[in-house]
Amino acid sequence: MMSPNALCFGEDLPATGLPCHVEISPTGLTVRFEEQSPALGELSLPFSAVSVSAGGLDHDQLVVRWGLAPHVHTLYLKDPSLIRSFRSAAPPELTKHLDETAATVRRTRSRNRAVWAFLLAVIGGLVLLLWFSTDVLVGWAVDRIPLDWEQRLGQSAYQDFLLQQTVMKEGPSVAAVQEISQRLIEHLADNPYTFEISVVKNDVVNAFALPGGYVVVFTGLLEKAKSGEEVAGVLSHEFNHVLQRHGLERIVRQLGVVAVLGILLGDQQGLAGVMKQIGVELFSLKFGRAQETEADVTGLRLLYRAHIDPAGMVTFFERLSEQEQGRVEWLSSHPMSAVRAERLKKEIGSLPTTVPEPFTFQWRTVQESASAPARR
Amino acid sequence: MKSEILYPGAFPMVRVELTAGETIKAESGAMVASSPTIDVESKMEGGFLGALSRKFLTGEKFFFQTLRASRGPGEVLLAPTVPGEIVTLELDGVNEYMVQKDGFLAGAETIKLESQMQSLSRGLLGGEGFFILKVSGKGTLLLNSFGAIHKIELKPDQEYIVDNSHLVAWSGTTSYNIERAASGWVASFTSGEGFVCRFRGPGVVYIQSRNPGGFGAWVRQFIPVSE
Repeated sequence: MMSPNALCFGEDLPATGLPCHVEISPTGLTVRFEEQSPALGELSLPFSAVSVSAGGLDHDQLVVRWGLAPHVHTLYLKDPSLIRSFRSAAPPELTKHLDETAATVRRTRSRNRAVWAFLLAVIGGLVLLLWFSTDVLVGWAVDRIPLDWEQRLGQSAYQDFLLQQTVMKEGPSVAAVQEISQRLIEHLADNPYTFEISVVKNDVVNAFALPGGYVVVFTGLLEKAKSGEEVAGVLSHEFNHVLQRHGLERIVRQLGVVAVLGILLGDQQGLAGVMKQIGVELFSLKFGRAQETEADVTGLRLLYRAHIDPAGMVTFFERLSEQEQGRVEWLSSHPMSAVRAERLKKEIGSLPTTVPEPFTFQWRTVQESASAPARR
Repeated sequence: MKSEILYPGAFPMVRVELTAGETIKAESGAMVASSPTIDVESKMEGGFLGALSRKFLTGEKFFFQTLRASRGPGEVLLAPTVPGEIVTLELDGVNEYMVQKDGFLAGAETIKLESQMQSLSRGLLGGEGFFILKVSGKGTLLLNSFGAIHKIELKPDQEYIVDNSHLVAWSGTTSYNIERAASGWVASFTSGEGFVCRFRGPGVVYIQSRNPGGFGAWVRQFIPVSE
């Protein structure tokens, strides 16, 4: 007995089908069953006695049917070469029907393939779109965050922060920072923010701005800076972070597409909830390199408009760069200070020269008050 | 490959006897114990890409184990991860079975395993995912299930309806359509059945008496939630 190449089904046969061997002759088929079913033995079926259709899970099997109810038997042929020889031997009226079935199968298959291809293309397209449009999307979403949300967010973080710090209430250092800020703020073009600036007793050489215009200057910065112009450079930079809404951009980026979609759908309530959670993390927000550069350049222009000597900004970065020897620029989110100083020098060169107006305070007094023990 | 199911019921184990040089394939992690003559090898059925596609597409384990009686005859004990019955099928070389992704336990080396992509509607709604295992060839195949395994025999054109999450395996001669369980969308889901598969014979459908997803959901309510 040759190895089985088909399965035979019927009322009296097992549900898994009886393996059998099918041979195609010019007049019909011969079906031979295995030894264990001698009752069936060998069957000769002329083409005129059978009908055919497609069957099986993927409609890729040839189903040959014969007999009258309830003694109908069906053969399932799966081997493609067997199906081919059946089709070439069978009379046209049988194969005509088969051709239609085959066409249907092909149509179904190509439709499935097309659906899959379409789906993959759509998914791929969406991924690419999201990949390349994040900046646009983030910007778009940030534009839609109302100012009072931003202010509320910044304010709560600002107040929480100040509670844990020693805030300088008065004295030459506070007065100097106020004067510098005032000069800068007066020259801001369409500024919707009410800036609030605090001087905090801390040795950290830094200043930071929270969304909504809440700025903190550490006394360490005042002690390290060589002039009021240097501090003005840092403040101008921080103010521009606020104006460009860099903090919000970072938040939206961190929250991801979900937040962006939330904003798109006008669900600012939901955003407020999430923001409350991340308000705590506001201080760990790092601006990106592009944002730093933007704040540098716009900060420099602001110094110009306020008639503050922009050289202060450059010298401050140069001083910082001395402490940064050995860092690699592309590894860090802050462009390295030397690179920043260079960029600023180039920018200064492109701007017309103006006569700077000096500040009214004595920098030495400011520094002395900054380094003096705090009075609460 | 001679196999015997020990402790039939919820916690069965299979003893497989191998003649010298014989190998079997098993789900990775399925081996419980073996004679010292048996070597365990990890084999990526269908090559690396085949294994990779199976891993990502069917969720099947990346590797199948190959157990080889390389130093003489011996026996291996195999068991699935989940409690449930094991069933033995003898493939005759003509019959093919589609097996949902967790159903394969072990098989003779002569059986062939392929990942097969389902049509979109079956993949989305059938409950077995987009890819299933197609098992063909000649030899013994061991399937495992969650709960008891039940065999439904379908005569030609006989139909039967199965909740999609209870499917284990079905023969390649059957065909099925996905349908809503009840005539209305709302009723379909409120009845707890959602989608069902309408199978059409001839062929055999193996179903499991428990629904893994349903069981998972039931267990979840007892797991304390942190925060």
